[in-house]
Amino acid sequence: MTTLALTRRSASWRRALTRNGWALGVWLLLIILLVWYATLIPAFGQFQMTSISKNSLPLIYLGIGQAIIVIAGGIDLSLGSLLLLGNVIAARFMEDQPLGVVLLIAIALVVGLGLLNALTGYVISISGVPDIVVTLAASFIWSGLALWILPSPGGGTAPEIRWLFTGATSGIGGTFIMPILMMAIPAIAVAIFSRRTHIGLSMYAIGSNGVAAHLAGLNIRQAKIASYAIGGAMAALAGLATVAITGTGDPRFSVGANATLNSVAAVVLGGVALTGGSGSVLGVVAAGIILIMLNPILTAMGIDPNSAQVIQGVLIAGVMMIGGLATLLRERAS
Amino acid sequence: MSQPILSAQPDTPKTGAMGLAARAGAIMSEYPTLVLVGVLVILYLATGAIEPNYLSVNGVRNTLLQAAPLGILAGAQTILLLAGGIDLSLAMIATASAYVAANQSPNGAAIAILLGLVVGLLVGTANGVGVTVFRVNPLIMTLAMSGILLGLFTAWTQTILQGSTQVANFIRVVGGGSFFGNRIPYSVVVWAGIAIILIWLLKRSGWGRLLYAIGDNEVAVRLAGVRVWQVRISAYSVAGMLGAIGGLLLAGRNGLVDLQLANAFLLPSIAAVVIGGTSIFGGVGGYTGTILGALILSVLNSMLTFLNVGQAIQQVVYGTIVLALAWGYASLTRRT
Repeated sequence: MTTLALTRRSASWRRALTRNGWALGVWLLLIILLVWYATLIPAFGQFQMTSISKNSLPLIYLGIGQAIIVIAGGIDLSLGSLLLLGNVIAARFMEDQPLGVVLLIAIALVVGLGLLNALTGYVISISGVPDIVVTLAASFIWSGLALWILPSPGGGTAPEIRWLFTGATSGIGGTFIMPILMMAIPAIAVAIFSRRTHIGLSMYAIGSNGVAAHLAGLNIRQAKIASYAIGGAMAALAGLATVAITGTGDPRFSVGANATLNSVAAVVLGGVALTGGSGSVLGVVAAGIILIMLNPILTAMGIDPNSAQVIQGVLIAGVMMIGGLATLLRERAS
Repeated sequence: MSQPILSAQPDTPKTGAMGLAARAGAIMSEYPTLVLVGVLVILYLATGAIEPNYLSVNGVRNTLLQAAPLGILAGAQTILLLAGGIDLSLAMIATASAYVAANQSPNGAAIAILLGLVVGLLVGTANGVGVTVFRVNPLIMTLAMSGILLGLFTAWTQTILQGSTQVANFIRVVGGGSFFGNRIPYSVVVWAGIAIILIWLLKRSGWGRLLYAIGDNEVAVRLAGVRVWQVRISAYSVAGMLGAIGGLLLAGRNGLVDLQLANAFLLPSIAAVVIGGTSIFGGVGGYTGTILGALILSVLNSMLTFLNVGQAIQQVVYGTIVLALAWGYASLTRRT
């Protein structure tokens, strides 16, 4: 009996390892990079930790949102535009307001953008138009709205919001406790939600095989809409984090488009397959931090920003090539 | 037994109207291109209603000047989407080719164009190798390539490409000039040539049929003995070349080359293909629809410019109409 229990336990351990192998690898890579970065620069401490953790917040939120949508078998090209929308609404209306109003706006943003993206998910499920097309069109609509609300970069924010995301009411300095908390709470919440609730598991199911999930009696539409709602809420958090870090709103389309593309890159690097149904939100968090950390690391190595962009592209493609080769070899072996 | 009679009775008086609507629906779902032509005509006339000057040779020429590069870039996306791929680096390929052509323009237009095309060929092939040999998801591979090109050319514009912003006169004439009494743009002739070749390739050549087959079921094509990787890589190479041609035409039309040259065309190039009825999942569609899609988007752009509502409303309207067209197309073709 004991041997049986033991083997079963070791088997489940092994299963957990193979299932989360990629995510663990990404976290390991992040730790190695952090240690390497610490040896690269003369003084590594609070300031660097704070700067890395707070600057990676927008990408991490967007990555988590994108990951949930991708896991449920979709892809959302409008998340960056939703970030713009959240950013400009916060920048336009939060400045010089009392704490209560600021918090109300923040909550309304998270709920409102969640509902807005749920609408996108609803349109996708009733129209039969592919996700990528609907969200591409939506990205124009949301960024147009953002531009309408704030025609040129500007606006301000409330010190409370800055403190919440950066740990300092001025947005400069501070401790890394707040950014890490703001990173961990949503990430863990979404991770638990996706693995431990009925709707969360339905998302994995419909992403893996929509027809089979439907035949098994799952509510496909509900799971799909829920995944888009979470994506929208995460984009609102990303917009709030952006306003907290920069102190202004920026409605430019290219900012949103870049954010969207980076979120897709973070999702793939984080081990979530774009075909849907697999991967974990937690791997995406590490991938997001790595993508942001590459810049200071390459700067510390004395490489100019343009070459840094080249290296970042080569690294993303390279990591994915290694992953592709690994699956190829595994297929050959079996 | 009484049910058929009950249901037949109320139907009889309506047969005329119902039959007509049903037949119209059937025709529309059978020939979706007709619907696209209809949308194009309506949009064109609506634009003419807003700005009467638009309904002239001049107005059409200006729209075509914009549609030609978009149509060529959308042609690249059509090939790739048919085979189940996509290219997000297409705008940067176009910009890179235009830069190289501008840099080589002092050596003559022929060399400039040739080297521009070589850039497109090389980058496209690199994309293809990454996607097929190394199995990188096309979205990620081409996204990374786009970042690499942007970084390289941002750096090079300050060093070896410094001052290379003007393309040769010949490219400028082809990109922005017109003939036949200033009526027909040269770029439209280039586009028409490419369109004929592409439509022939997709409909009549073995390579084109294989693209459809791969997009439909890659495993089956491989089991049938086709070297799928060769077809895939060649599709990316051709797409890269088309991107280069689009970039050269854009550079010629604008007269100047900068890093933002083709950026605004990336998402519309995909939208044009989707509006034209090519499935994003591969295997279904064709270039005829894409041509109409590119024309619709260009007329729409002119219309929004004439309306003078500001960029914000323009983007909202643009997105809404793209969504409406895609939705309408999906619900039309689902009947069959």
